[in-house]
Amino acid sequence: MSGTKRVSLTIDGRRVVAEEGTSILAAAGAAGIDIPHFCYHPGLQVEGSCRMCLVEIEGLPKLELSCSSPVREGQVLWTANEKVREARRDVLEFLLAEHPLDCPICDKAGECRLQDYYDLYGRFPGRMFEPRERRAKMTPLGRGLILDRERCILCTRCVRFLQQVTGTGELGVFERGLGSEVGISEGAAVDNDYSGNLVDICPVGAITAADFRFKTRAWFLARRPSICPQCGRGCAIVVESVEGYPLSKGERRVYRITAGEDPAVNGFWICDLGRSGRRDIDERRHHRLLKRGEPAPGLIWPQAVAEIAARIRALPGPDRAARMAVVLNSRLTCEELDLAKRLFVDRLGLTRVFFADRKPGAADRLLITAERVPNAKGVIEAGFRPRLPSLEELAAEEVLLLFGSELAAHYDEGATADALGSVGSRFLFATHAGPLDRMADLVVPLAVPAEGPGTYINIQGLRRTFGRAVPPRQGVATGVDVLISLARSLAIDLGEAHAR
Amino acid sequence: MIENGLALLPHDDRSWRLEDYLARGGYEAARKAITAMTPEAVVDEVGRAVLRGRGGAGFPAGMKWGFVPRGAAGPKYLCVNADEGEPGTFKDRLILMRAPHRLLEGMLVAAYAVGIPKAFIYVRGEYARIAVRLEEAIDEARAAGFLGPSVFGTAFGLEVVVHLGAGAYICGEETALLESLEGRRGQPRVKPPFPATVGLFRSPTVVNNVETLASLPGILGRGADWFRERGVPGDGGTRLFSVSGAVRRPGVYELPVGTSLRTIIESHAGGPPEGRTIKAVVPGGLSAPVLKPEELDVPMDFDSLAGAGSMLGSAGIVVISDRTPILDVLHVTARFYADESCGKCTPCRIGTRWILKIVERLRAAGGGPEDLDLVVRLAEGIRGKTLCPLGEGAALPIRALVTRFRDELERAVAR
Repeated sequence: MSGTKRVSLTIDGRRVVAEEGTSILAAAGAAGIDIPHFCYHPGLQVEGSCRMCLVEIEGLPKLELSCSSPVREGQVLWTANEKVREARRDVLEFLLAEHPLDCPICDKAGECRLQDYYDLYGRFPGRMFEPRERRAKMTPLGRGLILDRERCILCTRCVRFLQQVTGTGELGVFERGLGSEVGISEGAAVDNDYSGNLVDICPVGAITAADFRFKTRAWFLARRPSICPQCGRGCAIVVESVEGYPLSKGERRVYRITAGEDPAVNGFWICDLGRSGRRDIDERRHHRLLKRGEPAPGLIWPQAVAEIAARIRALPGPDRAARMAVVLNSRLTCEELDLAKRLFVDRLGLTRVFFADRKPGAADRLLITAERVPNAKGVIEAGFRPRLPSLEELAAEEVLLLFGSELAAHYDEGATADALGSVGSRFLFATHAGPLDRMADLVVPLAVPAEGPGTYINIQGLRRTFGRAVPPRQGVATGVDVLISLARSLAIDLGEAHAR
Repeated sequence: MIENGLALLPHDDRSWRLEDYLARGGYEAARKAITAMTPEAVVDEVGRAVLRGRGGAGFPAGMKWGFVPRGAAGPKYLCVNADEGEPGTFKDRLILMRAPHRLLEGMLVAAYAVGIPKAFIYVRGEYARIAVRLEEAIDEARAAGFLGPSVFGTAFGLEVVVHLGAGAYICGEETALLESLEGRRGQPRVKPPFPATVGLFRSPTVVNNVETLASLPGILGRGADWFRERGVPGDGGTRLFSVSGAVRRPGVYELPVGTSLRTIIESHAGGPPEGRTIKAVVPGGLSAPVLKPEELDVPMDFDSLAGAGSMLGSAGIVVISDRTPILDVLHVTARFYADESCGKCTPCRIGTRWILKIVERLRAAGGGPEDLDLVVRLAEGIRGKTLCPLGEGAALPIRALVTRFRDELERAVAR
């Protein structure tokens, strides 16, 4: 940003330059100096209540809050000298005096700020020999959130999130002094589509999610970034999965999806729909080929693609464009769409390339968009003009390639079955089991976006490339794999090295 | 009794009324300021009087007004802190009951000086009767043209709203007062920004104590020099000393700032009752660290008391006799702060209650020197790390009680 004044200061003997108006905590963080904190959150207004982030500013008699003090030119700061470390120990000692030592059974263990900071800055013997306050251990807050009031350190991140971000204000602090407790008003539970963020931002194990509680331990989780495919926003997400030990049958692979950070897209938050996407990665997935609705053991996807190519080759060249159609979708990545465009439109000369997508839903004033696909802009950019085909259009085809089962969301199942029944050959590439499975000659299992990589262009026109957050399930192919393989089988060179 | 800077009057049913107040020359100072002086001249006059805030912090009143941005667009507010909650302090109550017009006149002066059209008087919840009287006084003043859209027929106007608190000590802290006034939990805000720039409803706000404002008519009426010379350099005027505890004549005494604590206790309040001696004195409200009998010659002004390791605070003097066990004093002190901690910041919320738990155990079952060490250590842990002065105000007197009466406490807890 031009026009913003920059100030230079010295933090722990290091020269740091920061924009005017930045807090000391943020400026230090940007310079790689972590100042411990509980109540401060970059997405919320400053509260200044935990008192963990106190630092020494030379020339001032008392320690100052780094979360609320802006940087000033020429300031000399100390974030880890003995005076500051002693203050941190004091704050930690107070917090721990009224905090249960139940880390072994606490969901937050391993990713708990209180635990981490004690390890870094505490390590003192306990001096609290008085009886601790007893509080409710399992208060349901709504939306599968469970509050343990003994673990709560009253940072009020949750309360402020609901006031400042969603504006729904379901949580408040009741009573005062050490009697202060977070809670809901009677009969007014947390009920908004961003409730899962409360678990993300709780710095301790006070708010946990029923969906994750006691299912695994934080240290077993591999965390990899991806892009949420649930709507047009394309929020940054973190897919947290277990890879360290072999899974037994039915065990979860992806334990949760948490918010990633993307200042231009979603800031620090994601919606509950995005979090529930963890089920899409594990549940109801196709993992082997189906032939006329039945599992085809021994058949692997390259063979299936070769079969499909053979069927396409059987169409007389000049008639091909008139007798074959493809139905794509807006969940496909830019890379997949680009290959599809070149293969189906440019090289095979097809004129009927349609799109079938999830139906739009309601947009909200925060992140959720009406369109429930992640790459509508990518479809346009790839050169398509997306249109839902009528069943009559499809019924006349000789060969039909379907990517995804969303056609079923638009047409009656019986009518769809009738229309597809009159198509010569129907091939379905799908991630999940669906109503079209039994109508297809072949079903080829596809990877979900989290099994990426790929690129999406969100509703704001922002391009985001993501990597592979979880390894693809055995036996599934990515759209890129399938399209390149299909082109090869048709002896068409797409220059795929470029596409990748 | 010396010349009465606040014109306090005998307690009867008439003297507080506008008619009587006018007969004593009331509203003349405000009339002079508003009709014959510029706001800058008023600020200057108050600045020269060296009037330090009477609520407890002792911040110079003129300087506080100076932080309000001049000529900025949008509303500005004056908030009167009548949430007199500091234990041992009962002086504002007297002004509000006996001279409410004195406060209103002072508010006119302050509002005119800073350019404020709207004021709130935040009255502590326990002063419900006082709030009724204030409303009556406001009605009288409005009917006489001293309040309302045109004060003294000038373009300057002032509307005053009385707001009753709900009985929380913390709401005497100025930002907690503002939160409460806005209808939220009474909890302090992070400063900066200070109320002078971002205050009530996010607008520039002056928050002044009742006695501070009630001092203004005297300053404007008789001049800054008259006021300043009554006090000591750096701390002008007379002020109201609330004296309670083991004295023969407890009450509120108006005396020059800088009068010695011993003079107040012995000459004015009559000293301890027959057969008792003074063991300790709280000189400035409960948050002020105790003094021992040999320290009573300290002059009662902000700087002298700070030099003596205590503070003038709200000038609430509590005399503790030789018959009162210090362990009991420690207990009521610890209990007060644990009960009144708002709970917002960690050290105060947990530290005050932890100390109370230890003191309660000591009273019930005894203990050893290590328990007293821990109390001091916890007070140190609170000190300097809290969001508002309440934590400091809890830590300092508790630490002082334990360190200054260590021997007595060790004997008291030994079993």
